[in-house]
Amino acid sequence: MTTLTGIRRRSIRGARRRDGLAFYGFISPWLLGTAVLTVFPLGYALYVSFTAWDGISPFKPWVGLANYAEVLSSPDTWSALSKTLLLVAIVVPATILGSLVLAIWLNEKVKGRIVFRTIIFLPAIVPAVAAALIWKVIFDKDSGSVNRVLGTFGIHPVSWVTGNNAFITLLVVMLWGIGAGIIIYLAALQTVDAEQLEAAKMDGAGALATFRHVTLPAISPILLFQTVLTLITTLQVFIPALLLAPVGVTQTVASVPVANRLYMVDVWSQFFQYSRYGYGSAMIIVFVVVILILTAIVFRIGGRSVYYAVDPDQKGDVK
Amino acid sequence: MSVLEKTDRSSAPKPAAPMDKVTSSPNRKNRPERHPVKFTLLLVVSIALFLPFVALAIKGLTPASELGANSWFPTDWRWQNIPDAFNQIPYFKFAAISTFIAVVYSLLTTLSSALVGYGFARLKGPGKRALFAVLIGMMIVPQIVTLIPTYLLFSQFGLIGTYWPWVLWGTAGAPYAIFLYRQFYASFPKELEEAARLDGAGRLRTFISIFVPLSRPLMVTAFVISFNATWGDYVAPTLFLNADNTTLAVGIATGYDNAHGILLPQLLAAGSFIYILPVVILFLFAQRSYVRGFVSSGIK
Repeated sequence: MTTLTGIRRRSIRGARRRDGLAFYGFISPWLLGTAVLTVFPLGYALYVSFTAWDGISPFKPWVGLANYAEVLSSPDTWSALSKTLLLVAIVVPATILGSLVLAIWLNEKVKGRIVFRTIIFLPAIVPAVAAALIWKVIFDKDSGSVNRVLGTFGIHPVSWVTGNNAFITLLVVMLWGIGAGIIIYLAALQTVDAEQLEAAKMDGAGALATFRHVTLPAISPILLFQTVLTLITTLQVFIPALLLAPVGVTQTVASVPVANRLYMVDVWSQFFQYSRYGYGSAMIIVFVVVILILTAIVFRIGGRSVYYAVDPDQKGDVK
Repeated sequence: MSVLEKTDRSSAPKPAAPMDKVTSSPNRKNRPERHPVKFTLLLVVSIALFLPFVALAIKGLTPASELGANSWFPTDWRWQNIPDAFNQIPYFKFAAISTFIAVVYSLLTTLSSALVGYGFARLKGPGKRALFAVLIGMMIVPQIVTLIPTYLLFSQFGLIGTYWPWVLWGTAGAPYAIFLYRQFYASFPKELEEAARLDGAGRLRTFISIFVPLSRPLMVTAFVISFNATWGDYVAPTLFLNADNTTLAVGIATGYDNAHGILLPQLLAAGSFIYILPVVILFLFAQRSYVRGFVSSGIK
C-alpha cells in the first residue's frame, strides 16, 4: 500500500484522499453489510407495511396506511405493549441495579470472589432458549422442583405456565440473568481513580457518599450504555415467552397464554400464524419508533447525569 | 492463558495496577480484608442462581417413573437418559451444525469487527463522524426487526436452508464488537503507526502485525460473545434453516415430547444440560481473557 516516500511527496489533498480510501476500505465490510443486511431489510419492511401481503403470493396489494391505523387502534397492540413495558419496568432496573450492587460487592477483597463472580455470571451466558427450557422443567406442574418445594408447605401443585402465573415464570427466567452486567461493571469499577477514592476517604466521606460522588460519576457512561442495551433487548424478548407455552415443547405461538403475549410474540404470530406480512411489518415499524422514543427518553434522563471523564493524558481521538 | 495475560499486561493502555485487582490472588501487599456481610450475601445469591443447574442435573438423571415422586433425589439414577436424549432428536447432527455456524460466524465477525474498529479508531475519512453515529444507531435497531425482512429478502435469492446468511452476517461484523475495538485501538499513541510507517509497512500490514496481536484479549472476548450468541440463537435458525437441518437450539426446543405432544421433562433436562455445556466450558476457559478484554477496551 502506501510507502513513506510516496506519502511525503504527494500533495496534501492526495494524501487525504488516500487516507479516505483507506478508511473506507477498512470499514467496507461493515458498511456494505449494514446496507444489505440492515438498511435494505428495514426499507423493505417499510414498503411491505403499506401492503396487505400474505407472504406467498407475488401480488402485494397496496393498502396505504390501513395497517398502521389498525395497529394503533387494535386493543391487542396496546395490551401487548403494556405487558412488554411492565416486563421492562421490572427486569431492566432489577438487572441494572442488581448487577451493579453485585459488582460492587465483588470488587471488594471478599474471600472466594472469583468463584462467586463465575457462578453469578453463569446464568447470563446460558442461552435464552436453554434458560426457558430449564425453568420449564423446574416449573413443571407434575414433576417440577418448585411445586415439590411448595408441597412441603402443604401447597397443592400450581400450574406455572398458564394464566397469569405464566408472567411470573417469565419474570423468573429473565431475572435469573441478573448478573449479566457484572463483568462490564467490574471492568468499569477498575477505571475509577484510586487517588480520588483515597482522597474521599481522607476527607471522611462514608461509603455511600464516596460511591455517589466518586464512583458513580466515573462509571456513569457505562451505566447508561448498559441501561440502553438492556432496555432494547428486554423490549424484544419473546423466545422465553414462546418456549414457556404450556403444550409439550412443540411451541406454537397460539398456545402462549394471554399474560405472556408480549409485543414481539404478537408480531411473530401475525407473520407465522396468520401470514399477515403487511400488518406484521407495520407492527415492526411501529415498534422501532417505540424503541427509538424510549431510548431517547433514557438518553435524555441519563445523559444529564452522565459525567464524561476526559482523561488528560489519553491520546488518540476520543469522541 | 498465561501467554495472553502477558501480552495484555505489556500492551495495556492503562496502568497495569488496577487490572491486577480483577484476577490476582489476594496475597499481595494488601492483606485480605474480611467482609462477612458481603460474603454471606454473595453466598446466598450464588446458591440461589446455581440451584437451577442442580435441579436440572437431578431431573436429567431421574427415571420417567419417578418424575412425580415425592422425593428430592431419584432412588435409581438413570444415566440412560443421556443416550436417550441423544437419540430422541438427531442430537449430534444438530450439534455439528450449531458448531459449524457458530465457529464460522464468530471467526469472521471477530476479525471483521477488528478491521472496522481499527478504521474508525485510527484512520481519517470524510463522513467518519456520521458513520460512527450510524454504527451506534445500529446497536439500537432490534435484531428481530431486521431478521424477518432479511428472511423475506434471502428467500428471494434461495439462501434459505443454506449457511450463507451466517457468512454474510459474520463478514459484516457486529456493532457491539466494533465499538469495543474502536475504544481499544483509539487508546494507543500515534507514534505506534508512525514507527511502522517508517519501516515501510502499509496500513493493512500495520494493522495485522501491530494492532491485531495487541488486541488478542479483546478478540477472545468478541469470539466468546459471538459464539455464545450464535450457539444460543433460536430465531435465525428457525427462520433460515429447514427443520431437519437446523441447530441444536431449535432441536432441543422442539424435539423433546412424545407422540402425543406430552413433554418429556427428564430427556429435555438431560438434553438441555449437555446443550449448555459448550458455552459454559468455553466461558470458563476463556474467562480471564474475556474479563481482560473488557478491561482493556478502556470502557469509559
